[in-house]
Amino acid sequence: MGFIWYLIIRLGGALVTIAIGAVFVFILMQLIPGDPAIAALGENATDENVAAFRRVHGLDQPLPVQFWIWLTGIVQGDFGTSITLAQGYPVWDLMVQRLPNTLFIAVYALLIAVVIAFFAGSIAALRQGKMSDTAATSASVLGISMPDFWLSYVLILVFSLGLGVLPAFGFTSPMVSFSGALVNGALPAFAIAAPMAGVFARILRAALLETKRRDYVTAARSFGFRDTFVYMHYIFRNALIPFVTVIGVQVRYLVGGTVIIERIFGIAGLGSMMVDGAFGRDYAVVQACMLAFLVFVLGVNLIVDIICAFLDPRRTH
Amino acid sequence: MTSTRKPSGVSRRNFLVGAAAGVTAAAMPSWGRLANATGHHHLNVGLIGFSVVNTLDPQKAGLNSDFWTLSALFNGLMRILPDGSVEPDLAESVSQENDTTYVFKLHKGVKFHNGEELTSEDVKFTLDRVLNVDTASPNRGKFTAIEQVEARDKYTVVVRLSVPSVPVITHLHNGVTGSQIISKKAFEEMGEAAFSKAPVGTGPFKVKEWRPSERLQMVAHTDYFRAGQPKVASCDILLIPEETSGGTAMLAGDIDLASTIPFADAPQLEADPNITISRLPGANWRYCALNLNKAPFDDVNFRRAVSMAFNRESVIKAAIFGEGSPMQGSIPSYLKTAYATYERPVCHFNPERARAEMAKGKYGEGTEAVVLTWGSGWWKRWSEIFAANINQVLGTKFTVEVTDANVAFQRYKAMEIDCSNTGWIGRMELDEYVGDCFRTDASRNFYKYSNTKVDELIDAGRAEFNPVKRGELYRMAEDIIVEECPVIFAFNNNAHNMWRTGVEGFVPTPGQHLGSQLGPVSVPS
Repeated sequence: MGFIWYLIIRLGGALVTIAIGAVFVFILMQLIPGDPAIAALGENATDENVAAFRRVHGLDQPLPVQFWIWLTGIVQGDFGTSITLAQGYPVWDLMVQRLPNTLFIAVYALLIAVVIAFFAGSIAALRQGKMSDTAATSASVLGISMPDFWLSYVLILVFSLGLGVLPAFGFTSPMVSFSGALVNGALPAFAIAAPMAGVFARILRAALLETKRRDYVTAARSFGFRDTFVYMHYIFRNALIPFVTVIGVQVRYLVGGTVIIERIFGIAGLGSMMVDGAFGRDYAVVQACMLAFLVFVLGVNLIVDIICAFLDPRRTH
Repeated sequence: MTSTRKPSGVSRRNFLVGAAAGVTAAAMPSWGRLANATGHHHLNVGLIGFSVVNTLDPQKAGLNSDFWTLSALFNGLMRILPDGSVEPDLAESVSQENDTTYVFKLHKGVKFHNGEELTSEDVKFTLDRVLNVDTASPNRGKFTAIEQVEARDKYTVVVRLSVPSVPVITHLHNGVTGSQIISKKAFEEMGEAAFSKAPVGTGPFKVKEWRPSERLQMVAHTDYFRAGQPKVASCDILLIPEETSGGTAMLAGDIDLASTIPFADAPQLEADPNITISRLPGANWRYCALNLNKAPFDDVNFRRAVSMAFNRESVIKAAIFGEGSPMQGSIPSYLKTAYATYERPVCHFNPERARAEMAKGKYGEGTEAVVLTWGSGWWKRWSEIFAANINQVLGTKFTVEVTDANVAFQRYKAMEIDCSNTGWIGRMELDEYVGDCFRTDASRNFYKYSNTKVDELIDAGRAEFNPVKRGELYRMAEDIIVEECPVIFAFNNNAHNMWRTGVEGFVPTPGQHLGSQLGPVSVPS
């Protein structure tokens, strides 16, 4: 019962946050200077063109009316229509085109980062003070220190221009070709994963070392359990809690914060769509993206909390 | 109770192996360049420096990127040749009944992408649509001299003008014009929204899929009216916002042909034996627009002083890596009939004369002004060098303000600036460099420059059919404009294209209307 209440309270809080976020996003977009008509019509537009454009797209309506139209649309699943990014295109269709790309690259990068971190963090913790610890820790620092855009160009230099085994530009949606997405997404996913893996590995190492020193671990050893058993059941599970929390923080960055990588490798993702929308003052696009990010972040937070509650049932009390 | 499992003939192990093989087969690559392995010729074109193509509907289009893409799908009544001359395209011939009446005879048998034949009704429908106020076409201003479009018979169109106007006829080409001919039947059947995503034109390619802000996938229009074109079975136009990525995509062979090159990367790209770079004086001009109604640029002496204190060569070297040439007017050199080959001293760097000129006017050392610009690339570098130049020579206090392009252009249009570095690209008609920018009340005369003599010369130029005389009239107008410095003329940057070895048939043009140049382009399979 405790867990269900916990879920209900969290979901209710998320809905309130989304509602406040929707108002905030709308007001924020209207406060930004600039004119979508300029972005859409270009330099040839006359004042007459601009007025007609504003009328056609409802931009001449009072702000409360615009907000009401937008809000009632959202409630009915209509995110509006793009005006400067792809004139006349339903925003939902644009998001559906891009969401698979964003999620694919996010999961791809996350998997690479987690796998690297599991190995590097575990080896470093289990062999503390030895050469392998130094090597894993140094590699982590290197990963954290490398700017992702710089690493992207290094990867292009080596794997695209040098070895010629992976493309430098262009991404295939996983909905079109999964293997194509795997191949074309390899370099961007690694560029995103490398700094994350460094962070994850250091967190995991620190958590493992701290857990290793706990009394219950000493007690388990005194029972004569084997090292592997103690590691898996007493150390690793408890060390996962801070690790999962940090993954949650990084995942939020994965959805909207990889615009530069999307640009370099030509990935049509949600992040670059929002940036293009913001530069073009495509209000409906930006508002929809912001809402999507908000929902995503709240969802990730919820999932992270559930996992942590599962790992540590005391949290639900 | 016992049960006998019927042998299926497939062990668990075999099943897993089979499943793995199936998954692998299903996932066999069908991406990127390997699509070419099907044997057909596919062309990947990079539109570098752009992240948005807003619409494929030519009458609604307003951005250069819109036109550079959609022009692969359409034709105009006229076309511009690489040397800048104009000739009929969908029209077989053009004749004049008098100074204001043009008769276009259409090619017979020209097919739209939907198989329908092009007729005069389509032309009338297109031009009427541009002119219709309800269409809200950003291109309407180019055609307001058209009084009436008549479909005289199935293949004859008569265009009547209210005044003699050469520019209107030039604007019927497949460039940044909005006059690309669309299928009336397809438009009416599809409706505007659907048409703007998959428009039906007569061009060498037709839409397969448009993925906004990503790529336009096209297939060959096999009934294209120009024999032997297009040379490839399919073509993708990819948007590459990051200029450096355009360079690496070309080096890696991910694209075959590109709309431009990153200025800074030109030497590295040229060093690659697999890449060819073309370089032409571009159809563009860069300038610093001045607010003529506000201090300090309300003083002609100060404006002239700034012009002479500006070392254009230093900007060309440092901001665009030598890829351009100084301008002493607004007319780029490719418009040969009008281009001034003689020296105009007010557009040349001369510190002594600049200081002497400033001394004649209202403003002196310590005068402040803000140079508005946008972005972080060469626009910003240009502005910084410009401000430093002026401050060093005149002892002024010019500063640079950087914002995003939308805000900069909005403020520029409203003249909420002191001055702003800006420019126009891809214009093919002479009047767009003079009449549109300097005639009183012209659409792009945001600085509200006005000179009766200039207006008279522009009007005479618009009505003059002899190209040499016409060029002279515009040059005379430009002579006056330059002396009054309503803007600081800066430079003309080169128009580049680059392509990989094996790409044949591409002819670079100063206007860089990429899409319209793709018909004759071939690639090895």
